[in-house]
Amino acid sequence: MKVSRTQRWAVGAPPLLYLLIFFAIPTLIMVVASFRQPGEYGGLAPLFLEGENGTWRLDVTLESYRAVFSDTLYTGLFLKSFGYALVTTFACLVIAYPLALLIARSPAKVRDLLVLLVILPFWSNFLIRVYAWMIILGPQSAFILGLNGLLGSVGLEPVELLNTPFAVVVGLVYVHLPFMVLPLYANLEKHDPSLLDAAQDLGANAWQRFWRVIFPLSLPGVYAGAALVFIPAFGIFAIPDILGGTTGIMIGNVIKQQFLETRDWPFGSVLSMILTAIAVLVAGLAAWFARRSRL
Amino acid sequence: MRRLLLAALCLMSTSALSKDNVLHLYNWNQYIDPQTVARFEKACACKVKQSYFGDNEELVAKLAAGAKGYDVLVPTSNYVQGMAKSGQIQALDLALIPNLKNVAPAYLNTAFDPGNKYSVPYAYTITMLGYNEERMKERGITVDSWAAIFDPRILEKIKKKVTVLDSQNELMAAALRYLGYSVNERDPKKWDEAKAVILKAKPYWSAFKATGYIEDLAAGRSWLAHGYSNDIYQAELGAKEAKQKFHIRHALPKEGAVLALDAMVITKSAPRPDLAHKFINFMLEGQNSADLTNMMGSGNPNTDAQPHIKAEIKSMKAIFPDAETAKKLEMLSDLNAQQRRLLNRLWTQIKAAK
Amino acid sequence: MRRSKSLWATAMAAYVFLYAPLVVVVVYSFNDSTMNAQWVGFTWKWYGVLFNDEEMLTAAWNSLLVGLVASAVSTVLGTMAGFALYKYQPKVLPILVVAPIAIPEILMGVSLLIFFVTINLTLGLISITLAHVAFCVGFVAIVVRSRLSGLDESLVEAARDLGASPWKAFRLVTLPLIMPGVVAGALMAFTLSIDDFVITYFTAGADAMTLPLKIYTMVKTTVTPEVNAVSTLLMLVTLVLILAASKLSPSVLRQAD
Repeated sequence: MKVSRTQRWAVGAPPLLYLLIFFAIPTLIMVVASFRQPGEYGGLAPLFLEGENGTWRLDVTLESYRAVFSDTLYTGLFLKSFGYALVTTFACLVIAYPLALLIARSPAKVRDLLVLLVILPFWSNFLIRVYAWMIILGPQSAFILGLNGLLGSVGLEPVELLNTPFAVVVGLVYVHLPFMVLPLYANLEKHDPSLLDAAQDLGANAWQRFWRVIFPLSLPGVYAGAALVFIPAFGIFAIPDILGGTTGIMIGNVIKQQFLETRDWPFGSVLSMILTAIAVLVAGLAAWFARRSRL
Repeated sequence: MRRLLLAALCLMSTSALSKDNVLHLYNWNQYIDPQTVARFEKACACKVKQSYFGDNEELVAKLAAGAKGYDVLVPTSNYVQGMAKSGQIQALDLALIPNLKNVAPAYLNTAFDPGNKYSVPYAYTITMLGYNEERMKERGITVDSWAAIFDPRILEKIKKKVTVLDSQNELMAAALRYLGYSVNERDPKKWDEAKAVILKAKPYWSAFKATGYIEDLAAGRSWLAHGYSNDIYQAELGAKEAKQKFHIRHALPKEGAVLALDAMVITKSAPRPDLAHKFINFMLEGQNSADLTNMMGSGNPNTDAQPHIKAEIKSMKAIFPDAETAKKLEMLSDLNAQQRRLLNRLWTQIKAAK
Repeated sequence: MRRSKSLWATAMAAYVFLYAPLVVVVVYSFNDSTMNAQWVGFTWKWYGVLFNDEEMLTAAWNSLLVGLVASAVSTVLGTMAGFALYKYQPKVLPILVVAPIAIPEILMGVSLLIFFVTINLTLGLISITLAHVAFCVGFVAIVVRSRLSGLDESLVEAARDLGASPWKAFRLVTLPLIMPGVVAGALMAFTLSIDDFVITYFTAGADAMTLPLKIYTMVKTTVTPEVNAVSTLLMLVTLVLILAASKLSPSVLRQAD
């Protein structure tokens, strides 16, 4: 079917324009900032410096870029964040999938309620929820006391779950779970039940039905959910801060510090751009895979 | 002159609350007593709209990006110089602030703001140690030195029950002091020494916490915290209120510590500089200044406020240090861009280390 | 539909995981202590404190308002973007849609602040809403796009053959089919907006206060149970609103069966 030019514009232009104005241009300011010097007291140094004869020259530098790659400190943190984001995405997928499947198969009336119940906790407040995890994983909680009692009775050492990488992953998974459940649900909801019936009639057991029919059909939803979990998780700083203890630092924390404590906006800008580039790459790969699996 | 005229106009104009009769105050979280605010609103027949920041850096970042609309800010004094040089704050009309005479001379005319051209002292806090008295006694630890958070021999006994401030400036300052250097030491070699001290102690710490250590102490989850004097006072109260079987105490390390003097300044683009001056003058009155101390346990540079301060707070050497201790306190001065970059690199290395 | 017991069990476990912290939040809102550290006793007083706390209530109201407007606008824009991404394979739009999700919030917050100041936009609820829409659009677009993939084109073509304009075909055929995706996107956008802190912090200006900002100020010192109380109430109010909305327009939440 031929698509008219006006149709393309009518649909594509509004979001494009909005994002150009309220995203691209502001970001461009910071992209330019990555080449500038940090301001003496914070912010950015003036872009133009007065030269000897009263001429103005552009005060740009690659110093910030060099600083990133001068040693493995920052690349190591990028890898660490990447790893955490990956683990979080997989964990979210494993936990979200049965939930999304159950909701998708429920009768229409119950479905809406179940979807709302998934997202309802996230209308409280982010910090409060994370602090609640601090209480649950903390040494004085009923959960931990019970767990350690159990471990003790089997002769194992008591564990401390707070301020560990485990706590960070729990927090990350928790905070991102709805962003995996909802896209998965949106996809699973449209699956034709007759396909499953046909598979069963042909002798497939439950596991085969899932792996050969349901999962492949749901791949676009899986990739959408994975993108919406991985990308934000990659740059997050609040959760490692609160739940991570002394080793909880990730690249998101470093970036935040550049804009606050260190007041080194050019450096923060460079790190941000690298982060964004990696994330966009990952999203692009996900979209590419999704297109390939499009049925 | 113009400001006096404005002030007069304000007094003469309608006493009814108009939409523009608002003072915008940008202050630390919970750093002013609501009663004081109410009293001011009555006195000036205006409304006070408060915004909050948790750290100087947030304030500085917003201002650097151009945020407008605030009248009075309360940064820590070492940032005043930078703000003045960047043209973000205006010179005060001291004629409108006669109560300045109430402030103890020791806190006036600082290196950051000679002649108090831009700022007026508000309150001060000292960074020190807060600890669980009973737990420390059980282990035979006397908390009187930075060694409590840096010496592995002491830390062994309280492993994972210690938190330190999540601030590169504060922690480095503590380490530098522990080594006998000034908190404003700039020599990168000495910074490396401090870093080494920190890295040796880090495995024994449970977390870097700029907030939440109050509750940790009060709940008994942690036994020793590197924190601010007013926060530790809050922890003390919290433990009492929760009827805990232990007490939280202050300890000002004998090597010395950081004194943070918070000051009131007026932004250059302030919508109501007249109200701003009125507010500053108001806050320098004895009772109003004392309100904050009584509420928070913050230090008070105002001599007029002393009679209004609760006796138990006044007697706390940690909040109101005597002359001997005061000599060992230092104020942090701001670093330049290169130094900040280096410090942040060190800090990232510290945080990323196992 | 066959329902296996193990599926049900794992799904329920997921719900328990989702609600565990929530139980803590709600229970501690009745804690008779100024700290959230230990359970001392039961009291209603924090709800009383909340109802007298004008700043907190205004902040909660602002958050709801901004959330509703931002999610509405970003759902519309995001659906358009998702549709465009799916059908027209544009070059620039994909990056513009994904990048706001990827870019660190603090960078976006600072750069938006600089931008707003440069164009002399008064900072307030409007600037916050504009900022929120910018990063929510991508979430909606990605979900809608994934829902569109696998869409049966023949249905749309049939409608066109029967004489419907492209807009009518979209409204009466495509839209109902992708509605769960649109709703999922809207829910995510709303959630992101009412909970956003970093970007809101920088684009709020001196006058506007949203709930995350207000709560942050308390978290920095002590988290009194008043915060738990407002969190609990916010959830309830939002739930009631959404349920009411779904009663009024049953077709919105449900795909045309």
